[in-house]
Amino acid sequence: MKVKILKWHAVASWTWDAQDETCGICRMAFDGCCPDCKFPGDDCPLIWGACNHAFHLHCILKWVNSQTPQPHCPMCRREWQFKA
Amino acid sequence: MLWDPEALDSLDDAAIGDVLQSWASFCDCTDALLCGRGDLSAGADLVPLVATLCGYGLCSLVQDHFLHSLEELFKSNAVLKFWKHFDAFSDASKLGTTDFQENWTEEVLSKSLEEICLEKHYQEKCLLMLVHALQSFDESITDEKMKIQDYRSSLTSKYQLMVSSILLTTVPMHFPGILRSYFKEKLEELSNMMAVGPEEDGCEFQFSNNRLGQPSQRPIGVGEMDIDTCYHGSTFAKNNTLVNNIGKVVCDLRNLGFTSMTEDAYASSILLLLKHKVHDLAGDDYRTPVLGSIKDWIQAVPLQFLHALLVYLGDSPAQDDESSGLKSPLASSPSYPGIEMPSEGLVRWQLRLEYFAYETLQDLRIGKLFEIIVDYPESSPAIEDLKQCLEYTGQHSKLVDSFISSLRYRLLTAGASTNDILHQYVSTIKALRTIDPTGVFLEAVGEPIRDYLRGRKDTIKCIVTMLTDGSGGNSTGAGNSGDSLLEELNRDAENQESADYDDDTNLDDKQAWINAERWEPDPVEADPSKGSRNRRKIDILGMIVGIIGSKDQLVNEYRVMLAEKLLNKSDYDIDSEIRTLELLKIHFGEGSMQKCEIMLNDLIDSKRTNANIKASILQPPAPGSEQEETCLSLDHLDSTIISSNFWPTIQAESLNIPTAVEQLLSDYARRFHEIKTPRKLLWKKNLGTVKLELQFEDTSMQFTVSPMHAVIIMQFQEQTSWTSKNLAASIGVPIDTLNKRINFWISKGVLAESVGSDSDNHIFTIVSDMVDPNKTGINNTRCEGILAMDEECERSVASVEEQLRKEMTVYEKFIVGMLTNFGSMTLDRIHNTLKMFCVAEPSYDKSLQQLQNFLSGLISEEKLEMREGLYILKK
Repeated sequence: MKVKILKWHAVASWTWDAQDETCGICRMAFDGCCPDCKFPGDDCPLIWGACNHAFHLHCILKWVNSQTPQPHCPMCRREWQFKA
Repeated sequence: MLWDPEALDSLDDAAIGDVLQSWASFCDCTDALLCGRGDLSAGADLVPLVATLCGYGLCSLVQDHFLHSLEELFKSNAVLKFWKHFDAFSDASKLGTTDFQENWTEEVLSKSLEEICLEKHYQEKCLLMLVHALQSFDESITDEKMKIQDYRSSLTSKYQLMVSSILLTTVPMHFPGILRSYFKEKLEELSNMMAVGPEEDGCEFQFSNNRLGQPSQRPIGVGEMDIDTCYHGSTFAKNNTLVNNIGKVVCDLRNLGFTSMTEDAYASSILLLLKHKVHDLAGDDYRTPVLGSIKDWIQAVPLQFLHALLVYLGDSPAQDDESSGLKSPLASSPSYPGIEMPSEGLVRWQLRLEYFAYETLQDLRIGKLFEIIVDYPESSPAIEDLKQCLEYTGQHSKLVDSFISSLRYRLLTAGASTNDILHQYVSTIKALRTIDPTGVFLEAVGEPIRDYLRGRKDTIKCIVTMLTDGSGGNSTGAGNSGDSLLEELNRDAENQESADYDDDTNLDDKQAWINAERWEPDPVEADPSKGSRNRRKIDILGMIVGIIGSKDQLVNEYRVMLAEKLLNKSDYDIDSEIRTLELLKIHFGEGSMQKCEIMLNDLIDSKRTNANIKASILQPPAPGSEQEETCLSLDHLDSTIISSNFWPTIQAESLNIPTAVEQLLSDYARRFHEIKTPRKLLWKKNLGTVKLELQFEDTSMQFTVSPMHAVIIMQFQEQTSWTSKNLAASIGVPIDTLNKRINFWISKGVLAESVGSDSDNHIFTIVSDMVDPNKTGINNTRCEGILAMDEECERSVASVEEQLRKEMTVYEKFIVGMLTNFGSMTLDRIHNTLKMFCVAEPSYDKSLQQLQNFLSGLISEEKLEMREGLYILKK
């Protein structure tokens, strides 16, 4: 007997490969979305800083914009720079 | 004519002799006259005698004596004979045999009535002689014409009174029965006549009624005894002999003083006939409205009959009306065929008959309301009828009581499935909404159903199924009332829009004034504790959700169901789900459906991503013919990529996937990572669907199964026989799971099971030569595959209860701690304490009901005990 696969419909879940569970700013899960967003994933991406701390893009942008003149990472107080 | 003792003194002996002699001859003369059997010649002698006696002031004595002799004679002659006629009936009814020859009652009744009336008529003539004598005496002494009339009317009325009192005191028990059966017979005959040729008969009937109307315009009571001589046989058409006969009988009876008894008798027989008619017409058919035809029938038969009868009896139409002013109720109704102006009596009769018809029909329908509601959309005519009846009779409470008791008896029992109860509930809501738009009675009726449904575990599940099933154009369950709930969602959506408009705060004053003017008080039956009508908008979904208590539970259940559905989809077609979700969003609010929306969005995204990944294979590796046979390409793989945080807890099972597929999956994941950096895929290997083909030497079969099933059967490619232990180890699942799943293949006849050396270690072997029945079943297997999968109740998503259980276990520690400190606690106290102390993550947000469920779970695990409403730790 032989088994021939005609179609394999698999199920997977995606995850941001962040080392942490939740965003340090909004305390929401990384795999969820920031409080302002409705849909997770592409609509609410993560961003890493040069210090390797990850946040929801929307969260960190709000933070950065409120910090003048020089924004710092909310976690380690290092100068904030987006990871290239 | 007073008795005057002075006058007696003034009489001399000669005068006394004269009086005595005249009195004696007056008595003789009276006897002669009365017993003379039609010989009125004696009457001539009466005049001088009466004159003499009256001359002595004995006028009243003369009258009294005369009346007394009449009475004696009437009693001894006529009355006894009259009642004797009916003895046969009483004998028969005593024996219990009521079946006489058809026209027995009619014959006997009319004959005896004729006889007694003849007698009475004769006596009245005698009375007239006396009146004449008195009158001529009066004339001789005075010119006052006034008194003449006096004698006549007073004497006749005295006589009339005497006749009726004699008859009424001697009336035998069975006489009313005879009258009733007589009228019943006649009416049936009449109604049959109408039924046979309603057109022609009716017309002629009416025609003669018209003619009848003209001579009858004389006041009643003046000469009742003349009526039959006036009309008898003169104006009736041949077809009307029946009414004529009845009229005559009624007339005679009235004449004898049986007016009210007669009326009772024909009223009761008309009502009886009407009742039969209603039962006949209404019957068990709820698909046609009957009220109209009942009304028509009332117009056509009993009213025509009554009209003819009333006219015959001299109840004049038209004239009464103007004086009585009773035009109001029916003046507007022009529907009296052939009768220009209904008389007051007729109007009263019509109202009475219609009320009776309404009541009868209403009782009939209320008794069958349960059945009517069972086939609701088809039975709406019956509902409409019932509504009209209730508007007229106002006996709504009867409906509520009777319906509730039949609900309890027939629906709210352990034997009824939750689905049936829900369907009936929905139909009830719809039907009662028609009957009573204010919803007062619905509230009363719905209460027991809701209470009952709250006690059922699968209520929520059923409701959600009803809400979501039958969605989309390809629903197979025709006539499923799931459709109707979905429709309800739709309608609700429309209403919502208009309601938004209504709630607009910019209502101008004018509109507000109009609204205020339109205010109506609640019906009296409304339960004042239940709030006013404004809050009682009838909204089926609202009422359904009301059963569960909160929409959150419903939404949660829906989410689980949706997840299950989406995970088992192999295509990305979710149009119907989107539509349902949109509708639900309108009803339950966007916020509560957010997670479901994300789930659907995941499916849409997956479709796109899947296409992107496929496109990323720039050039398919040169398709060698032999390679295609063995290798799987990415073309064979689709995937659903979910945002797991927003899905219900998914049951993960480890599973060793065959390397070929494993490679494919990692390739797919790699490509995903390339496209969506830095996101990664985590495979849920036990989820999804696999479409595969089993190729045997001479045949092949297609199945759509779960990955677990696929993995199991793929193991048999290299090795035709496995023991369950080895197979489980090779696949990487627990042995009992394997045993459960492998049953699918056994039931399909692909694998055979045999007990090996160890009773736990079964041996599964591939069935090499497929037996016949499977060959024939090949066509069906594809669809059966999915069914079998569902039947095995293999859920990819944790059920709501399991989820709840998981969430609640966090609090188990708290509860146990509490109980150790306090000893025993009530449910309320545990609930409140948890609310007070569990504020930190995860904060306690469960309902009392959920807590109770959880606690009873702990009791069944023998961790807790419950005594008199108190929870105690089990030692």
